[in-house]
Order: sequence, then C-alpha cells, then structure tokens
Amino acid sequence: MDTLPWIILLLPLFSAAGITIFTQKNRDLSAKLSIGAVGVGFVLSLILFVSYRGEAVPTQQIEWINLGKLGIDIGIQLDAISQLMLLIVTGVGGLIHIYSYGYMREDRSVSRFFASLSLFTFSMLGIVLASNFVQMFIFWELVGLSSYLLIGFWYERPSAADAAKKAFITNRLGDFGFILGIIIIWALLGTVSFDVARDKLAADPALLGSMATVAGLLIFCGAMGKSAQFPLHVWLPDAMEGPTPVSALIHAATMVAAGVYMLCRTFFLFEVPQAWPEAVLGWFPFLEGITALGIIAWIGGITALLAALIAVQQDDIKRVLAYSTLSQLGYMVMAVGLAAPVAAMYHLTTHAFFKALLFLGAGSVIHAMHHQQDMWEMGGLKAKLPTTYWTFMVGTLALCGVPPFSGFYSKDAVLAAALDGHHGSPLLFVLGVGVAVLTAFYMFRLLITTFYGQARSEHAEHAHESPRVMTLPLVLLAVPSLLAGLWGIDAFAAKMLPVSHPIEHHGWFHAVLEPVNHSPLAATFGLLAVLVGALGAWHLYRGVERDPVERRRPVLSDFMRQRFFFDEIYQFFIGLTHELIARISSWLDQWIVGGLIVRGTAIGVEITGRLLRLVQTGNIQTYALLLVAGIVLVIVMTIRATTH
Amino acid sequence: MSPLTYIIGWPLLMAVILAFIPRNYRVLMRLGTLLATFLSLLVAVKMFVQFGGAEVGLGGYRFVQQVPWVESLGISYYVGVDGINVGLILMGALVAFAAACVSWEIKTHEKEYYLLLLVMTGGILGAFSSLDLFFFYFFHELALVPTFIMIGIWGRGADRNFATFQITMYLTVGALIALAGLVLLYLEAGLNTFDLVRLTEHLQNNPLKAGAQNFIFPFLLFGFGILVSLWPFHSWAPVGYGSAPTATAMLHAGVLKKFGLYGLIKIALPLLPNAAQGWVHVIAALAVGNILYCGWVAMRQRDLNLLIGNSSVAHMGFTFLGLASLTLIGITGAVTVMIAHGLLAALTFGLSGYIYNETGTLDTRKLGGLLRPMPFIGTAMVMAMMAGCGLPGFANFAGELLVLFGAWNSLSGFVVAAAWGALVVGAVYMLRAVRNVVHGPLPELERTPRDANAWRKLPFVLLLAALLWFGIFPSVLVNKIKPDAARIVKMVTGSEEPATAQAMAALKRGDAKN
Repeated sequence: MDTLPWIILLLPLFSAAGITIFTQKNRDLSAKLSIGAVGVGFVLSLILFVSYRGEAVPTQQIEWINLGKLGIDIGIQLDAISQLMLLIVTGVGGLIHIYSYGYMREDRSVSRFFASLSLFTFSMLGIVLASNFVQMFIFWELVGLSSYLLIGFWYERPSAADAAKKAFITNRLGDFGFILGIIIIWALLGTVSFDVARDKLAADPALLGSMATVAGLLIFCGAMGKSAQFPLHVWLPDAMEGPTPVSALIHAATMVAAGVYMLCRTFFLFEVPQAWPEAVLGWFPFLEGITALGIIAWIGGITALLAALIAVQQDDIKRVLAYSTLSQLGYMVMAVGLAAPVAAMYHLTTHAFFKALLFLGAGSVIHAMHHQQDMWEMGGLKAKLPTTYWTFMVGTLALCGVPPFSGFYSKDAVLAAALDGHHGSPLLFVLGVGVAVLTAFYMFRLLITTFYGQARSEHAEHAHESPRVMTLPLVLLAVPSLLAGLWGIDAFAAKMLPVSHPIEHHGWFHAVLEPVNHSPLAATFGLLAVLVGALGAWHLYRGVERDPVERRRPVLSDFMRQRFFFDEIYQFFIGLTHELIARISSWLDQWIVGGLIVRGTAIGVEITGRLLRLVQTGNIQTYALLLVAGIVLVIVMTIRATTH
Repeated sequence: MSPLTYIIGWPLLMAVILAFIPRNYRVLMRLGTLLATFLSLLVAVKMFVQFGGAEVGLGGYRFVQQVPWVESLGISYYVGVDGINVGLILMGALVAFAAACVSWEIKTHEKEYYLLLLVMTGGILGAFSSLDLFFFYFFHELALVPTFIMIGIWGRGADRNFATFQITMYLTVGALIALAGLVLLYLEAGLNTFDLVRLTEHLQNNPLKAGAQNFIFPFLLFGFGILVSLWPFHSWAPVGYGSAPTATAMLHAGVLKKFGLYGLIKIALPLLPNAAQGWVHVIAALAVGNILYCGWVAMRQRDLNLLIGNSSVAHMGFTFLGLASLTLIGITGAVTVMIAHGLLAALTFGLSGYIYNETGTLDTRKLGGLLRPMPFIGTAMVMAMMAGCGLPGFANFAGELLVLFGAWNSLSGFVVAAAWGALVVGAVYMLRAVRNVVHGPLPELERTPRDANAWRKLPFVLLLAALLWFGIFPSVLVNKIKPDAARIVKMVTGSEEPATAQAMAALKRGDAKN
C-alpha cells in the first residue's frame, strides 16, 4: 500500500516522458498511454480511498536536499483532503483525457497535447500529495509550466502565445510572495514540513511572532496567482485560448483550485495569533487588528463579485464560463477567509464536477459549431444536441445552486459560513447572495441564448451531436454534478480541517434537508437568489436576437465587456514602472557604462595607440603578446622581491 | 598519476599533435578535437563517480598529484579535487565536448581554430584543478588568450572589433588586478610557496593582520569580480558573447568565467576571512545589481545573443549573493549555481548559434515560430529558457533556491530583491525570447530552417540531461559540496554552524552505508 501513491504520482510522468521520446509519431498510442496512466491512477486512488477512508497515513519521505538547518524532502502526505483531491484529479481528469481523444483527434500535434496533459497530471498530483512547502512550490511551478504549454498549445496563433506568457508571468508574481513566505516560515520555525510546522505552532502559537500575518499573506500570494484572485485574476480569461478540454481540466476543475487546496493544507498558519511588524504598523497604522483571514475573505468576495459582473456581458461561451470559474473560486477563497476551509473544499469538489461538465459541454457545442464560440451565432441547439443540452442543463442547475443539485449544498455551506457568529461577516453574506443572483442570471442567459429560440447562423442550423467518446464523459460527469451534495463530502473533509460546528453524515435522505436544518436563513436566500436571477434572464433573453442590456445600458455594458479595463490599467502601470526601469537600465548600459566609460577609455587608448603607431599595429595578437609580457614582468618582479 | 592530469593532458596533447597535422586534413583535426575532449569527459565522469570512495589527502583534497617544478620559488605542478571543484571540472569537461561538437560551423582556418579550442579547454580544466597559485593563474591565462583571438578571427557581427577590444581590455585588467592580489598574498604570507593547501593551513593558524587583509581583499574581489562580470564591470560580457563564435561563448560564459568565483571561494574567503566579513554587504549589493539591473537590461534586448548574454550576467548575481551569505546553505547554493549556469550558458549559446547558422539572424523581430520547422531545437530552447527562469527540475532552481534560503538570515532585504529578479524579471525576458523566437507565426526566411540531425542533437541532449539530472537529484552535487563548503564557512566565520556538525555526522553515516 505504501508504494501506491508513488505509482499514482509517477505513472503520468512516465507517460509524458515516453510520449515525448518514443511515440511522437504514433498519435493513437500516445493518447492511449496518457489515458492509461491517469486511468490506472484513478483505480489506485479508489483503492486508497476505500482502504483509508480519510484516515491520515504516516507521511513517507525521501531526502532531496539535506544541508543541516535546511532539510527538504520529497514526500507523500495522504490524509482526507489529499485522498479526496486524488479522486478529483484522476477521476475528472481521466474523463477529460478520454473526451480529448475525441475533441483533439484531427489536430496534427496530438502527441504533444497528451504529453503536456500527462505532465500536468503529474504536477497536479505532486501538489496534492506534497508533504512540505518546498515540494509544493516545486510542483506549483511545474503546474505553471504545463499550463503555459497547454494555453500556448496552438503557439502559432499570436493570441495563444501571448496568453500563455501572460499566465506564466502573472503566476510568477504570486509565486514571488509564496517563496518569500516559505523562506520566512523556515527561518522562524526551522522546518518546511507541513506536519512539523503544524506541531510546532500547536505547541507554541506565538512562534511566528510579529511576522504571523505577513507570512500568512505571503503564502496567500501564491494562491492568488494560481487561483486567479483579484488583482492577479487577469490571466485566467485569456487562458481560454487553449483547447477546450484544457480549459475544463486545468482552468476550471483542478489547477485553479490548487490555491484553495493549498490554503486548506496550510490553514494552521492562519489560526495563530495575528500580528504585524512594528515597522509596518508605523507606516500603516490602520492595519492594526486586521487579520490575514480577513483580507483573504475580502479578496475572495471582491473576486467573486467582479467576475460575476463581467460574466454578465460576455458573448463568447468559454469566456462566460471562465469568468464564472473566477467567481466561484472567489467563493472558495472567501470560505477559507471566513475560517470555513471545509466549505471551501466542499465547493471545490462539486465545482470540479459541474464546471468540468459545463466546459466539456461548451466544447461539444463549439465542436458542433465548427469552432464558433459566439453565443449570438448559436440558438436552437436544444433539439440538435440533446445529450449536450441535457447535461449542460444539469451543470447549469448545479452551478446556480438549485436543490438537490450538488452546487446548492456546497454554496449553502459557504453562505452559512458568512453568517457564522464568530468568524462571519453580514456584509460578505449580502455580497455572496448578490453573486448568486448574478450567477443564475448569466448562466440562464447563456443557456437560453445557446440552446433555445431560433438558429441564428448557418452552422447552428446544421449542427450535429458530438461522437460518443465526447458525450460519454458528459453523462458520467452529470451524475456527480447532480448527486455529490448527498455524499457527505463536507463530513469527509471535516475529518482533518477545523470546523465551527460538528459536521456528520447521516445518509442521503438526511443530507437532502441538511442546509435547511443547519442555517435556514442561508438556504432561503440562496434559493431566492437563483429564482430572481433565472427569472430575470428568462424575461430579458427569451427570443431576442441581440443583447438588450447593451442597448439599454450602454455605459455599464461597455464597462463589463471591457472587463472594467483591468488589462489596460495594468498595461499602463507596468509601462510606467517596470518597463520604464528596464528602459532606463538599458539606456544607462548602452550609453553610460558601455558608452562613456568603455568607449571613452577606448578613445583614450586609441589616441595613445596613434601616438605609438610606429611601434604597434594594434591587432589582437599584439595585445596577447603584451599580456604575456606583462605577466612575465610581474613574475620577474616577484622573484626579485622574494630573493631580497 | 591523478586522473586530473589526464583530464588536462588530453586536450593539450592533442593540441600539440594538431600542430603537426597538415592544414587540409580538416576532418582529422575535427575528429582529434572530439576525441580529446571526449576522453577528458570520460575521465571526469569516472572521477566524479569515484569521488566518494577516493582517499582523502591533505587539506581534504582527493586524486592529488604534486610534481615540484621551481623549488626555489615554491612552484609545483599540484592538482587535486574537493567537493567544490569536482563538479566544476565535470561541468567544464562536458561543456568542452559540447563546444567541440558545435564547432562544425567553423569553415575557415580550421587548424588554428581547433588548436586554440584545445588549448583553451586544457587551460580551463587546468585552472580548476590546480592547487598551486602559479599554475592556477597560468592555466587561466592559457585559456584567456585564445578567447580573445577566437572572437577576433572567427567572431561575427558588426561589433566584432569593438567587442574584442572591450573583452580583452576588461579581462586583462581584471586578471592583472587579481594577479596583484595574489602576489601580495604570496608576499604577506611569507612562506615562499604557491602551494594553496599550505598557504590555507598557515594563514588559518596565523591570520594576516586586519590591515593587510583589508588591503588585499579588494584586489581579489574586483580582480576576480571583473572576470565574472560583477556589476558594474559587466558590459564586456553580453557584447563579447554576442560576437564570439559559438564554441568560445559556450566555453567562456559556461566555464572560464567561473574561474573568478572559484578564486573568491577558494582563496579570498578562507585566506582573508576578516576582510571578507567586512565586505559582505558590498558584495550582496553588487550581486543584486547583477540580478536586477542586468535582468532589466535583458528585458530590452532585441538580439537573442545579447539577451542571453545579459541573462548570463544576471545569473552570476546569485553566486555572489550565495558567497556573501557566508553560510553553508548559501555557499553550497553558489557552487550549485556555478555548475548549473555553466551547463545552461553552454546550452543557450549553443542553441542560439545553431539558430544563427540556420536563419542568418538573431534579431528577435525577424524570427518567430521556429518550433514548427525545428521541433527539437525549439523544444530545447523552451527548456533552456525555463531552466533560465528557475523552473524546478533543472539544476538552476536547486542552486538559486539554496542561495535565497542561505542568505535570508543575514541579508534578507537583498534576498527579496533577488527573488524578484529570479521569479519575475527572469520570467519576463525568458518568455519574451520564447514568444519572439519559438512561438508565433513563422516569418519569411531565405530558406526553411532545418532541425538538428541525431549528431547535431548530441551536445544539446547531453547538456539538457546533465541539467535535469542535477536538478532532479541535487544531492548528487550538494552532498559532495557540503563538507568543503562547511569547512570554508568555518574558516571565514570561525564557527561551525551547529546543525552542520549533525549534517556531517549524517553524511559519515551515509558514507558508511555505501
């Protein structure tokens, strides 16, 4: 049993390496290798899940670097949340691998695609199983690499190549904070291991001293990058330049959830007494009393609201889903900030199911529409793509939070956390309900425009259902999207994460009504929000040809369509700061260091050279000769000095 | 005889043989060069593998050989390796072989070219093996002079003459300043010997007066510093490499440049400990100058070689920062970066040389989309650029990570700046290069560039494999470096880090197991 996690982790790596080195030419074999690796991983993960059922297994470690004070291991941490994540990554990931086999069939670089996909699976599993901060950082970066490779899969398209670059660099901004946080934690606790750090902090919560809040926030920076939280959210919508299965797997279900997972994994850091360094308080006295979790909750909340507002006015169906992902990630981060990591893991799990389903459904539509992604070119696809339609419907209902679909229960857990007397915040509850209204609104807008009404283009009239290899994953994902709320995922995650009230699982029937018993207020408002949003969308978008909001509220619509001009503002600021510094440095280097000083000396030597022209020709061999002569001279002087 | 003598000897012997081969036997000369560098590489690999089991001699050196030469002055041919130079020599031998492989681009004056290449190789490997200060310096000069000549004759680009002039001037001045420092050290020690082991031991027991130390240290710091392109004495490097023939750039940027760092670690730190401690903040500040300033300059470059050259200068900052930390972790990291960067610099200059030969330009505005016609070269380029911006899995990450950890306690402000340079600035210019050269649409070129065939792939595959091997299993390097880095730290700071003692004990247990 001890070797199983290692096999799960390494199989995709072998698959990636094998495809790259040996099976580039054989597309079918490449795909099968990749699918096989993740499939076997899923079976083994199931075995682990069934045998351990959330019990923590002693951590296994292999020494990677040992330098006295700094010991870094590569290890396997197998406990409730990593067992859960293993199933999500290999299960949802496996289905998306199979779907890709159909979706990518006609692309000439199928082998490269599956190699990158396997590399991604390996890296993601590495994050899930990581037993220490540095190992997590290592796989964190590798996930960034696979995301870069897959966003830029169609690298000849400038937009794809630019998007890949933007994603990687934006993530690096977050990782800058992440690594500093890791170093600070190591400097103060003397370890990078999760277990040891947690035990040390449990024994003496004041160990981080005045750096507690700063260290926590720096670690959170990493999550901000990977989980695309405001203000580092700008890369995720552009990441939709990658093939649709990639959007489903990496930029919806798994990788972007890594930040949330990491926050849950390191939640012990945020439970220690919060304090700011004196110097920081001297400059910013208003920070007194503000905790890391408080900031995290608001960042999550702001992301959720901003992204939902932008989603309302997007026309590209993948972009709507991308902003929806941002918004849902905001919910998860907000849950962590509200000291409810269980709710965050719960929503992460259900979201992985239904968002993967929605993206794959969108992929099926795009496939049928010959790569047309504008929803206003679609319409009336309900009858032509029945399987896609019904499964997309399941995903939509789950995302909006209609009981008994899974999203209702996990979103309810987040909203209930905002109402919690101790850690909650009424303002964030109102914000959360508002986002739920917007979610229902933009999802029904998408559903109605795409599947109802009349076909609005040639392609939409002649659309055909996708092949079985693509629809089967849709159906298989629809099942957990519907039922995952009843399985007691929250109770499972609660085995190792702190909770404000005991969570137990008493079977399916009890689970259906659990939200109403636990927090009737949250459940009621959650339901009302769906109703308001869905009815609003139905009223506005039934049978229209163009978006009425664009006409009636042109300024607001433009702001939303231009994504509140974040990209432009960032461009401006980067141009004003970092690029400007680079320009100045480059100018200095060219004209001062390399120019005045070096060329000045050069001219000086030139003049001397002209004076000594009769003696020297100035060519390179002569310089070499002079050099040797110089050395000999110094040696002779040395000998003289020593003999006297 | 020590394997080191073979490692140095094969290229030099072959250079002598080449002198007698008629100049139109081009293939023979090429094969001879490949054979000599390959033999050096084989011996270096064997030595690296057998390092742990070898007998440890005086001063912690293994595979030692000493032949007295000028006894009145205390000069002897004296070679040996410890954990610090064993990896450097392996890296140097590998880069030398790769440089010989990529020399197919040379079409004129092959005889002189290969002769100089072999002399340069022998000089480089000799400099890193020598435990005698005279030969240490002599071998360096033996490698340096061919560098200038090769850039002058086989170099490319309009700036060639200026580049040659600049690199010659800078490096000659740097070498002479370092020489002055070494001579002063020799005189001050008053032992009448160039034997580094004896000097180290003597000065450890009878340290120089603070005044003398403080007087000599700047000579070594700036002399060696100029050789490593320490900011702000770096401007020779990007332009010089940009104009150099591929193999010269690979050998100099990859290996020879590390000579200055090696001198600082092996001579300046342990022999002048008090002065070293006083200079750490200056070194750290200059190191950040390397990392950030040269990184920013690299962001603005339009020529691929200038970009790589500036990035190579920027990476040197990490080794200086590691040195300045004066901790076991930092110095181990610095040596790891030296080895990793040597492999990486050779790889990137090798690849850019290949691209130049196929497309006739390195202007990033005229290039693009090379991944389609050249899948192997394009992929290798992406991997090299990723290694350059510190992606885990490559040796550079392990080294830079150790430097950041090691320097945190004493130099935290500098670490923040260095981390920004490593994670953000590095990513910006490396990915810009990928975007402009490898990604995007393929522009109109005179002819379709061809991908490398199996033979041309060989040097790149070897360099990449070494980068990955040391990146995935850094302990292969780290465990060798550790005891000697610990000894240097002890000599400089006077105290063994408490945890180091445990680490040494653990290492001994590990040795016993093996």
